[in-house]
Amino acid sequence: MPHALRPARARTGAAIAAVAALALAACSSGGDASDDAATPQDGGTLVYATGDAEPTCLDPHVGGNYPQALISTQYLEPLVGRDADGTILPWLATEWSVSDDQLTWDFTLVDDVTFTDGTPFGAEAVKANVEHLQDPDTGSSTGYLAVQKVESVEVVDATHARFHLTEPDAALLESMSQQWTAMQSPAGIARGQQDNCAAPVGTGPFIVQEWVPQQQVTLVRNDEYVPHDPQAEHDGPAHLDEIVWRFIPDAATRYAALRSGEVQVIDNPQPDAIAAADAGGDITHVDAPRPGSSNRIELNSAQPPFDDVRVREAFVRAADPEPGIETLFAGTATRSYSPLSSVEPTAYGDEELFGTDVDRAEELLDEAGWTATDDEGYRTKDGQRLTVRFPVSTNQSVAAEQSLFEQIQANAKAVGFEVVLTPTDLSAWYAALGANEYEAVSAPYTKVGPDVLRILYHSDGTVPAPSGYFANHAQVRDPELDDLLDRAAATTDDAERADLYEQAQRIVLEGYFILPLYDQQNHFLTRGVTGVRTLDTVATPTFVDARLGS
Amino acid sequence: MRAAATVARAVRRPWLRWLLARLGAAVLVAWVVATVVFFALRAAGGDPTEAILGGPGSQAGPEAVAAARAQYGLDQPLVVQYLVQLWRVLTFDLGDSYARRVPVSELLAEQLPGTMLLAVLALALAWVLALAVATLAVRATGPFGRACAAALRGAEVVAAVLPHFWLGAVLIVVFSSTLGWFPATSSGTDPVGLVLPTVTLAVPVAGFLGQVMRDSLEEAAAAPFATSARARGASPVRVLWRHTLRHGVLPAVSLSGWAFGSLLSGAVVVETLFGRPGLGRLLLDATMQRDVPVVVGAVVLVALAYVVVMLLVDVAERLLDPRLRGAVAVPGAPGGSAPAARAGEPAVLG
Repeated sequence: MPHALRPARARTGAAIAAVAALALAACSSGGDASDDAATPQDGGTLVYATGDAEPTCLDPHVGGNYPQALISTQYLEPLVGRDADGTILPWLATEWSVSDDQLTWDFTLVDDVTFTDGTPFGAEAVKANVEHLQDPDTGSSTGYLAVQKVESVEVVDATHARFHLTEPDAALLESMSQQWTAMQSPAGIARGQQDNCAAPVGTGPFIVQEWVPQQQVTLVRNDEYVPHDPQAEHDGPAHLDEIVWRFIPDAATRYAALRSGEVQVIDNPQPDAIAAADAGGDITHVDAPRPGSSNRIELNSAQPPFDDVRVREAFVRAADPEPGIETLFAGTATRSYSPLSSVEPTAYGDEELFGTDVDRAEELLDEAGWTATDDEGYRTKDGQRLTVRFPVSTNQSVAAEQSLFEQIQANAKAVGFEVVLTPTDLSAWYAALGANEYEAVSAPYTKVGPDVLRILYHSDGTVPAPSGYFANHAQVRDPELDDLLDRAAATTDDAERADLYEQAQRIVLEGYFILPLYDQQNHFLTRGVTGVRTLDTVATPTFVDARLGS
Repeated sequence: MRAAATVARAVRRPWLRWLLARLGAAVLVAWVVATVVFFALRAAGGDPTEAILGGPGSQAGPEAVAAARAQYGLDQPLVVQYLVQLWRVLTFDLGDSYARRVPVSELLAEQLPGTMLLAVLALALAWVLALAVATLAVRATGPFGRACAAALRGAEVVAAVLPHFWLGAVLIVVFSSTLGWFPATSSGTDPVGLVLPTVTLAVPVAGFLGQVMRDSLEEAAAAPFATSARARGASPVRVLWRHTLRHGVLPAVSLSGWAFGSLLSGAVVVETLFGRPGLGRLLLDATMQRDVPVVVGAVVLVALAYVVVMLLVDVAERLLDPRLRGAVAVPGAPGGSAPAARAGEPAVLG
């Protein structure tokens, strides 16, 4: 999943509002402390306020972005789960095995689960779901890629499904743990896309009852829920009667609603709100970095000036993001030195490569021939200025990140780079990438498991999809790297796989194709509710254990 | 021939000419707006096909992209797409949303009432605020009164330039987070939730209206008819209500049409800030996704709403100002006297 829509934030407004809040807090006695803190209880309505864009379809098979993963976690379940160590756990599939040629996978399925429309879950349903993902009419992006190597699904019997693959796929289980490939009722799918988008039918702890566009989705408890979630703490249907899933784009408003008790859970909080929660009080912070890639700046190695590794290293050595990460994120983001998220056990990082060294940067640029300087202080070579076009998606980059890029811009200027930051909306941003009008870009990618490296750095990823999209923004084309990634995807031996991925990450890091910044930030704040936890697959929250009260 | 003659005769009627001219203007506005929005959206970069296929950055396969393009006519030349879109607007069939795959008219009908409610409430509140401030400022006497009037004048200017996103954020922090009087979010017709968004929208407009009202009230108060009323022994309140207020509000009535337009554009920010469903948020989301039919439909609807409001403003002006009542013809048309004397020249009124 290449993107997660986030609303732009009114930086100035929030800052001034914060000042006003301080002033008022000084005059008011005690502020917002309410007395709803009771012992945890069953029943009731939990209100969740999301800042991610409202999905245009509640079925995560269609398209497949993070907002869809967030909400569908409440009503759809995947074939398998995953724990924090990256170990795949049984969920709707109880066990699995792979043939010696790794082209046939056998899944044994649970036999006691029915979809909330009464359709029994079984091999027929698994087959229907994979076919739904592969049907061009579905318009699936993320899930489609996940089952790309699946040729067909054979129904052996009601509880045994056999996947036939066109080539070995060590990432199959990780792919099937994602919300974008979660299981839906075949009868629900058969209703047609419009109906299924409005209310997908799954096996999860809640049922989609009503969707009022721009306002909320009402989810009611599935009383027949049979828990197979490997990490659930209690056995049986959810404690809550219902969840109201509200769409509130502004981060300051969400935080205000949390503090006033209008809502119990918010996502995408601002760094200062996270820091305040960490400092104590009645708001709890859940930190759940997304799997897949880290947040990193990718340098376009396919065209000047970053086709020269010396210029790439010079940029990385001069950027000095560390102080900005510390202050702008109020200590809530940890510096990364890896292409992969810290939740990936196979993540490999090398701090040595990324030490700030302005003298070294100047030396490298001199060596690379960028020796002349124009009247604005930027380096030039053959009359060309050392310009780095850096389109910034205001949907994906939060205010703190945009400020960080401005600091990097200033730091790079000191050694002679002209960094042109262009804030755009998501559509125009993808258009700029598709037209190759960038030298640097930050484009995090969420996927379970290290196979994301194949999507991001295999030369196949430089070939655009029909929409113009390609995932390998650094445009790395290295046969040795391709070979490592292909071999890693084809082996199910964990140790061998980890070793291959480490070698691959070394190539990416030592080639200075990227400047890693931090994990993909994914924070939740809760108040007046207990038992909220996030899945170790795509880091979405689940409320099957949640109870109101504290 | 006969029918044509009837039409010709009817058109000679001033009010009909006026109405036809207004309708013509509405069609023209709708056409211009639809055209500008259509081409601006396509020039902004990004592919509308992606809206159909799950949003920007779609990795849908070639078959899916081709099928979607064909289904929605996106494989046609841009000019053809434009003409199709235009034809749709003309025939009131706005097509289907790319992203939501439901008729655009359905989406608009869903969101229009909420935004209209907010805009009408905000306009009403702006009027009350402006009227209160203007009458207070005009009636103030003595050094303290004059100081207060100066402060009110200053407040009007400040209010008029306040950005919605800032004002809304401050109101949320003060009245929701700190005092806990009102919720930070709003939906539907819940009266408590409507308070903060309404105030956020109303205050800047009240600042503008207040300035205009105060100016013309002051002018009217100094006019001969007001002096003569006072000379006859009328109390200040009576002078205000019976004589000068009519003058005072006339320019503000004219401005209300414009104010309504600014409220509708302010709704984009306010609805997003307060998490309130509405036309403004629909428009913002659709623009981000390059959902062309929704953007064109929403913008044309807003433009037409603006035209209707301007029409109502015209009628209201005529009701308030007898000088305009005979002047229903299109300005410049023979037989209709263009309103030479407008508010601010209160020579004959009183």
